[in-house]
Amino acid sequence: MRLKDKLPLSYLLFTTRGRIHRSTYWLVSAFIWSTFYVLHTILYDFVSEGSTYILYPLLIGSLVATANKRLHDTNHSGYWLLAILIPVLGPLWLIYQLGFRRGDKHQNLFGTVPNEAADYFKNDNGQPVPHSAPERIINDVTQLNPVVVADVFRPKSVDELQERLRNTTGPVSVGGGRFSMGGQTASSGSLHIDMRGLNQVIQFSKEDRRITVQAGIRWCDIQRFVDAHDLSVKIMQTYANFTVGGSLSVNCHGRYMGHGPLILSVRSIELVLADGSLVQASRTENSDVFFGTIGGYNGLGIIVSAELDLEDNLAVRREYHNLPRSDYRTYFADTIRDNPEAVFHNGDMYPPTYTNMRAVTWVKTTEKPTVKTRLMPLRESYPLERYFMWAFTETAAGKWRREHIVDPLLYLAKPIHWRNYEAGYDVAELEPRSRTKRTYVLQEYFVPVRHFDTFSAKMSEIFNRYQVNVINVSVRHALPDSGSYLAWAREEVFAFVVYYKQRTNDVAKNTVAIWTRELIDAALSVGGAYYLPYQAHATSEQFHQAYPNARKLFALKKNLDPDFRFHNVFWDTYYQPFLSTGLTG
Amino acid sequence: MLRLPILTVIMVLLASFLFFRKGRQALTTPAGKGCVVPKDWLVSNPHPVTPTEHIRPADQTFLTYPEWFLVHSPAEIADYAHERTTTTFPYMSHVKQLWQSYGVVYDQIKGSFAFNTGYHIMIWVIGVSTTVEYALKALYETVVGRLTNPTNGAVVTDEDKFNAQFSQDYVDFIRVLPWYEFDFKARIPQLLKGTSFFGPHFIRKFERKYMLLTELLVKSGYGYLIKIGTKASYDEALLTTAVVINRLPAVPDTLTPIKTYPDGSALLLLPRYEAFHPAVSALVKQGVTFREIAGNNSAILLTVLAPETWQPVSQNLQLVFTQPIVTKPGLKRVALVTTVGSLDKTIRYAQEQNVKIEHVYDY
Ligand SMILES: Cc1cc2nc3c(=O)[nH]c(=O)nc-3n(C[C@H](O)[C@H](O)[C@H](O)COP(=O)(O)OP(=O)(O)OC[C@H]3O[C@@H](n4cnc5c(N)ncnc54)[C@H](O)[C@@H]3O)c2cc1C
Repeated sequence: MRLKDKLPLSYLLFTTRGRIHRSTYWLVSAFIWSTFYVLHTILYDFVSEGSTYILYPLLIGSLVATANKRLHDTNHSGYWLLAILIPVLGPLWLIYQLGFRRGDKHQNLFGTVPNEAADYFKNDNGQPVPHSAPERIINDVTQLNPVVVADVFRPKSVDELQERLRNTTGPVSVGGGRFSMGGQTASSGSLHIDMRGLNQVIQFSKEDRRITVQAGIRWCDIQRFVDAHDLSVKIMQTYANFTVGGSLSVNCHGRYMGHGPLILSVRSIELVLADGSLVQASRTENSDVFFGTIGGYNGLGIIVSAELDLEDNLAVRREYHNLPRSDYRTYFADTIRDNPEAVFHNGDMYPPTYTNMRAVTWVKTTEKPTVKTRLMPLRESYPLERYFMWAFTETAAGKWRREHIVDPLLYLAKPIHWRNYEAGYDVAELEPRSRTKRTYVLQEYFVPVRHFDTFSAKMSEIFNRYQVNVINVSVRHALPDSGSYLAWAREEVFAFVVYYKQRTNDVAKNTVAIWTRELIDAALSVGGAYYLPYQAHATSEQFHQAYPNARKLFALKKNLDPDFRFHNVFWDTYYQPFLSTGLTG
Repeated sequence: MLRLPILTVIMVLLASFLFFRKGRQALTTPAGKGCVVPKDWLVSNPHPVTPTEHIRPADQTFLTYPEWFLVHSPAEIADYAHERTTTTFPYMSHVKQLWQSYGVVYDQIKGSFAFNTGYHIMIWVIGVSTTVEYALKALYETVVGRLTNPTNGAVVTDEDKFNAQFSQDYVDFIRVLPWYEFDFKARIPQLLKGTSFFGPHFIRKFERKYMLLTELLVKSGYGYLIKIGTKASYDEALLTTAVVINRLPAVPDTLTPIKTYPDGSALLLLPRYEAFHPAVSALVKQGVTFREIAGNNSAILLTVLAPETWQPVSQNLQLVFTQPIVTKPGLKRVALVTTVGSLDKTIRYAQEQNVKIEHVYDY
């Protein structure tokens, strides 16, 4: 932990690093002066006049430190404090600079805007294992899946990566942002390849609305690049922390209307196979590799670049409609599905009854956005979000208050955002203070649109029977996949994104596994599927029923990765048994 | 980081508690709660003999006190500056004395006279300015001045000597004329030329020069603004006070009456402000009594400097409040009210008691 987090007050008072806002400066000055006055008076009155001198180093130190930080906020070095030596004008200028001048709106020489994070939340580079270098522990965002890997390699170029694969044998696991939640990024004893170093934009065409990027780049990096050209990523998740490679490998989706799985926006990819060779793939070239790699959890090879479609970066206005769950399907079909104005849509189902919904749609607008920045500003901490999350999950009537008090208040606002802004959330807003005892986990089920009501009823029955601490069920829509082997949308589907809280002890983990399998069955019973980047609780039968083309992919893997180098929980769980029982498995 | 706001609130509350707690020494002691002056002393003269242009409101004898405190206070500072550097001067005690005494004198006239808005605004302006000045000085001296102060606060540097002289000249000036007429600007070259840059106590010299330069620059700028403001909002002040006396003194002196009346009484113009009380004392010595001062015939305020133990006992006067002179232990300022008709007796009483009359507040 950094000093900043461990002792925030000492960091503020006694280091000159970083920047602070005007308001913080006023507050901390009030604190310093009142504290000085109190201590000075006490020492003077009750000890001796001389004893007060011990306060001076503290006083002057903290005044200089906080003034430094405030000067940094307007891109001035701390040496400007020397202006105080110019009588009258120096102090006046300093008073204005320190107490009144607005800080720079953007990052400057001395750091990011105060309380804004420098970057999106990231997972670590692997924790060293004591006395056992170069082994490292690779974990994902939930901290539930620690895996000791033999070494971590972070290629800086595709050549370096090819070379490493050519010159080594043995298992390899690949990680992007490591926001998948069930060990998909690591395998015990493997060489772990951290793709985040390959993060360049390779080619960009504004006219064609097309961008080619290295696979370790994150959506937020692409947003920063294309925003200047008034363009926006066509399909991505709501959060922008994820890498393109990790998103391609799960074939992600967002809240976009008229779109569906990520594959619909991919023109071509390049990947490095187990033997180190480089392969191009698209719908027309090596199409089996294309359809096996996207949504393929690093089974065939490591994606090193991708060519993606872009769209216009429009302003969008939020609208909402509260309705009973039973009306949602018709409401959606009649007013949202074919509405060319709708850009984002999701329907939130309120636990614990799951009978009321809030349908939220962001529609195109020519009005001026209500936010100052074009991209979402990042924050250091999300205390309010954290509080609400705690209140919804831990207090009696927390869920009732959310549905009937908190959300109605939050939805009083009529925000207008940019398309890029609304797709720029930081996973940090969901991060709890600690994940040791309890953790937040995601699951997702895909259900053909006509079975929305049947599945909803089954789902809420299961949640209530197991008393699952569900925070939210968000319903999204997706058009059919264009052919990936592990397609979760083989027809038009609703995605049920379930966000819940669980304890981290073994009993709790087991309970989750049990109700998860029941939910999977519920989805399968209506011809649906479940999402693979989360905990691998599904049985082999369930998996194959949900993904009937998995065997095709397995056969392809056997061909392209004959030595089974690309490992992770997913392949260990479902491919390993298949290998031992033969292709007929 | 919710801790900082909480801690700040706690510290600010503690600090205010310490600031406002009763000190070991009461800085202003009123003679009683609310108005202690007999009500029949608090009236305007219904039929003044004094010509209108020389009449001033009766409540102003009280309201001029805070203004005069801002002469008494620099006077105390100037006295102190000769003995010791002003770094350890108790500025904040004077701020408290100023506002406390304003409260007491206002208590005396409240209800008996209509609210004198113009005068109160003026008191607030000078009161707030002085509070800011003294608070900044107290802060500066505590944080910086104290660190460079020579042992025992000895006045050893040229700069501290300059300060002593400047303080004295300033008080002598404002006893007669408004402070904003003082030529602060002219002192700047004196400060820079009259003191060497290097020398023993170099840090003190440098720091004092910085602080004096700042004070002179700010005061000349602020004085200029106040001068414009005063000229725009207030009439030019008369520099005389008209008094009606019962008879002309036997020994005619330089004072020639403006007017004499058939009953032997006479209207005289005495100097206002600082020189008023010596002129009054001179007349008292000649056995004269007063009928009107600036058109008024009722309450008039005066302050005397007396030993700590002194208690005034006389039917002609009423004690209003006392204030210790904080830098001169054993001495206190006593504010007394008498009537215009008994002013001669009260002055004689003070002289008999051997206490020094500091000022007579001539409306
Ligand atoms: C808070 C949160 C919200 C989410 N919301 C959504 C959502 O709205 N919609 C949605 O579809 N998903 C969502 N997800 C799931 C998310 O899309 C996946 O977990 C995604 O894989 C994360 O990307 P990543 O870069 O972290 O991938 P990682 O977790 O690092 O990797 C995922 C998989 O891809 C493989 N991989 C990574 N990089 C490469 C590469 N270059 N070549 C080949 N294989 C690679 C890994 O081996 C692993 O199997 C969400 C997850 C979280 C934590």
